[in-house]
Amino acid sequence: MVSLEQTVDTSHEDMIHDAQMDYYGTRLATCSSDQSVKIFDVKNGTQKLVADLREHEGPVWQVAWAHPMFGNILASCSYDRKVVLWKETGGEWKKIYVHISHDSSVNSICWAPHDLGLMLACGSSDGAVSILSSSGDGNWDTKKINNAHTIGCNAVSWGPAVAPGSLIDQPLGQKPQLIKRFVTGGCDNLVKIWKYVDDEDRWVEEQKLEAHSDWVRDVAWAPSIGLPHSIIASCSQDRRVIIWKNDGTDSTWNYKVLHTFDDVVWHASWSVTGNVLAVSGGDNKVSLWRETLDGQWVCISDNHKSQVTRNTVSSERTL
Amino acid sequence: MVFQDHKRSVNKVCFHTIEPHILLSGSQDGTMKCFDLRKKEASSTFYSLSESVRDVKFSPHHYFLFAAVQENGNVQIWDMRRTDRYEKQFTAHTGPVFTCDWHPEERRWLATGGRDKTIKIWDLSMKPMVEHCIQTIASVARIKWRPQQKFHIASCSLVIDFTINVWDIRRPFVPLAAFNEHKDVSTGFAWHHEPHIILSTSKDSTLYLHVFKDAIRPADHANPIGLDISCYGDISYAASNKIVRNGRSSFKGESYSSTKLPVFFRKHPSASDQFRSAVSSIFVFKNDGDKFLSMTWFIESARRYILSGRSFAELCEHNASVASDLQRPHVAQTWRILKLLYNAVPNLGAEHSWGVPSVGSISEMLKGIERDEAFDNSQEGSKSSRHNSGNTFKNRHQSGSKQSSRHVSGGTGNGVATTDRPDTSGATDNSTDSEESDNDKTITNIASGLGNTQGDFFFGDGETDQLMGFQCTLSQAPTIDSAQDWNLPGEAFQPRHPIKDCSPPPELDNAPSSPTSFDEDYIETKSMVGINGEVYDYTKLLMTPEVPSSPAWVFNDVIVDMLHYFAAQGDVQMCVSVLLVLGERFKGFVDETTQEQWFHSYIEILSCFQLWNVANKVISLSTISSISSLNQQSTTIHTLCGNCRRQMTRIGWFCDRCKIMPTQCSVCHQAVRGLYAWCQGCAHGGHLQHIQEWLQYHPWCPTGCGHLCEYT
Repeated sequence: MVSLEQTVDTSHEDMIHDAQMDYYGTRLATCSSDQSVKIFDVKNGTQKLVADLREHEGPVWQVAWAHPMFGNILASCSYDRKVVLWKETGGEWKKIYVHISHDSSVNSICWAPHDLGLMLACGSSDGAVSILSSSGDGNWDTKKINNAHTIGCNAVSWGPAVAPGSLIDQPLGQKPQLIKRFVTGGCDNLVKIWKYVDDEDRWVEEQKLEAHSDWVRDVAWAPSIGLPHSIIASCSQDRRVIIWKNDGTDSTWNYKVLHTFDDVVWHASWSVTGNVLAVSGGDNKVSLWRETLDGQWVCISDNHKSQVTRNTVSSERTL
Repeated sequence: MVFQDHKRSVNKVCFHTIEPHILLSGSQDGTMKCFDLRKKEASSTFYSLSESVRDVKFSPHHYFLFAAVQENGNVQIWDMRRTDRYEKQFTAHTGPVFTCDWHPEERRWLATGGRDKTIKIWDLSMKPMVEHCIQTIASVARIKWRPQQKFHIASCSLVIDFTINVWDIRRPFVPLAAFNEHKDVSTGFAWHHEPHIILSTSKDSTLYLHVFKDAIRPADHANPIGLDISCYGDISYAASNKIVRNGRSSFKGESYSSTKLPVFFRKHPSASDQFRSAVSSIFVFKNDGDKFLSMTWFIESARRYILSGRSFAELCEHNASVASDLQRPHVAQTWRILKLLYNAVPNLGAEHSWGVPSVGSISEMLKGIERDEAFDNSQEGSKSSRHNSGNTFKNRHQSGSKQSSRHVSGGTGNGVATTDRPDTSGATDNSTDSEESDNDKTITNIASGLGNTQGDFFFGDGETDQLMGFQCTLSQAPTIDSAQDWNLPGEAFQPRHPIKDCSPPPELDNAPSSPTSFDEDYIETKSMVGINGEVYDYTKLLMTPEVPSSPAWVFNDVIVDMLHYFAAQGDVQMCVSVLLVLGERFKGFVDETTQEQWFHSYIEILSCFQLWNVANKVISLSTISSISSLNQQSTTIHTLCGNCRRQMTRIGWFCDRCKIMPTQCSVCHQAVRGLYAWCQGCAHGGHLQHIQEWLQYHPWCPTGCGHLCEYT
């Protein structure tokens, strides 16, 4: 099996902090310390720079694509404490909104499931999480959770809008209540789940998950497709990736350490169907993990070490 | 000693770098004055010709030179000996320049900072030129070069940002170090004659003495890695070169090849170099059929599955063959079992009850296959002794799928072949040593009769040699005539072709069982053994001419379990497809909310792959109202009034402005009921037939509006 590997020439002048593919897998958005956000077309192994967006005044940490039903919208967050929303209209990318409400670097952003409308959660080094939602007429409402994580929030990820538990005690024919929930990870080594309480019109801490022994670097809520349970992956400076599982019947979250890696784990990301987890860390390895039927997590990408090692050796020789 | 020469407030003063008694001041009144501390009055005055002077700085390299920065964005270089005119002037910033600093060693360099949030390093050797530009997040209030570090400069902000940042001008995006102890904006800072200690003051009424090693290093906290999986299972991966250098191999995976290392890192750089040279490489790993991430099966199945429009059996058979084409034997198996189950119900009456044990094990079996696959997968690589290559693995699969097809063919065609597996397994269980001689005979029998064809047909190449080891047994039926023996191969061929006639052939209806060969190994791995006893019992029942009426087995629950199993596997496609194909047969067993969620997820994933047609089909086939109404949303057709050509906003068929109903036929002038053909260009139209006729002979609009309507 010959595999095609594409190196994208981004011409970023500094470190790249995030690279996100859009909904259709045809566009790649990157962001860098050089304060720019770039969008590439990556169809059929070729790449074409579509846009070079400069608005930030500091390193840009993350980018996030909104669901295409809202149009082509990209959000970016930066060290300059701003979150900028970009929109493509008539082939041109323009900023449509600048969200300034944090007192420190905004580290992470994540769009809510599209059922909830255009809604963006932003986690910042000031410890707060702000939730930006479109009222539809171009205006944006902001809600803020102050002191969500002491010292700072590093990652946010939304849970599915249709909560797994709601399927069980839902009367037939009634539309399931949309649930607004997201998970955050912070410098206080905690993973927290936040839930919106409609009656009180505010966000409350629903769960505090303790297991990591160092900063939590990334959290990822697995996409749900009609399953009774929720799964969250969190990865940390303590070199571990932890899988949190809630079976949907009560509010207990059990955890299992996926693996202890050789270096800081920076990223965890789920596949579209939610059954494969990709993990990458400071050891420059991307590994893929999958849960077996008996609940064990196995690395499915390490089988063919020999092949890769060979490739690596040859590429080293060419240096 | 007090000098009161300036008319307005003095922004900055600066002592001469060599002469301790010379002091320079820059004032809001737009002038600079030079004082000799030995005299009572200003010795000279320089007129900047601007509103105000924000900062003045003597050059450490040139006795007479000093720089002055202005409110209007200009920088002036003066010679103390000439009071009438500056030596050089250039515009450095948009908006006020607040601060400037000469480089202590590099004669050419002057740094300036302003309200435009930038710090600029100017080369003054020739025509002033920006050498470096640092973008900060707030107005720059003060800057100061770090002693003994050529490329380092510290800054503090006028507003917003309370930190004192130290920058490496070669990496202008991320501060090298930051001190953020202050709770309000910093008003000033100074290096303590050496590069490791910095003093700072702030509006929060504190003074800090910072040690450089305690500084926060923002770059170290910056995420050096970006990772994402696209819907196609492609992985985009960005990694800083620091990481790439440390890590060697980049990605491990069956179908992903590894990264090429950037060529520009051969020597090990020093710490400061490491900070400076931060570049990332970004890779897109194309997924070429990685087993778990690839979505090719999904796209192909979505395109090729047929969900309606044919008989149930045909749908199942078609979908099963699609699945086996895509190397998904357990899905194919599932389709065939569904066909067997639901197709059999009306026809076979009591006969479906024999299926209880074998079908009850369907989900078990499926899991068995899965487990087997997973096992094989994990074992491949390491345990090459068992499976030498993926090839064997494949063969096993093929044989698996063929066996399953055999199994199903029996089920749909007649009772005989279907019973063969449980039957023989029962027999195997019961076979004793004494029977073995009989079995041996059977082998020879089969070998001469149908062994050859069967062997080729049922088993992949890899397993033909195993055929010798098969324990082929006769069923419990004591007598089997040769005619029945010969019937079997004919049926065994059938699964290759779709079986049109699903009713059991009458002459075989009561045939109790038949001899067959089977892979014992297969049975073992599929954990069939556990139910053998039951099966065996039942085989006996089948043999009795009068089948006692056993309670009809409700297998719907098993199907519900199966659907949930597929959902758990992330294969929501299967859930939806099965639901759609089963349709009325399987109504009300899965609650609507779950169904709705499956449909939503499936449609969502379909639209990821831009399979709009499939999504639309799924939507229109759905019986859930909230789903089937999905494709009626967000399609708006605006109607224009043919008379005034305004959009009819309130009601689509009545113009508020003209108070008429513009639904008249332009040809016959009657109101149109039913199909109304309508030109989007001129908004005129009429009866479809009339318009068609009209436009056959005339290119223009029948109303005479002059529009050249087009009928397509």
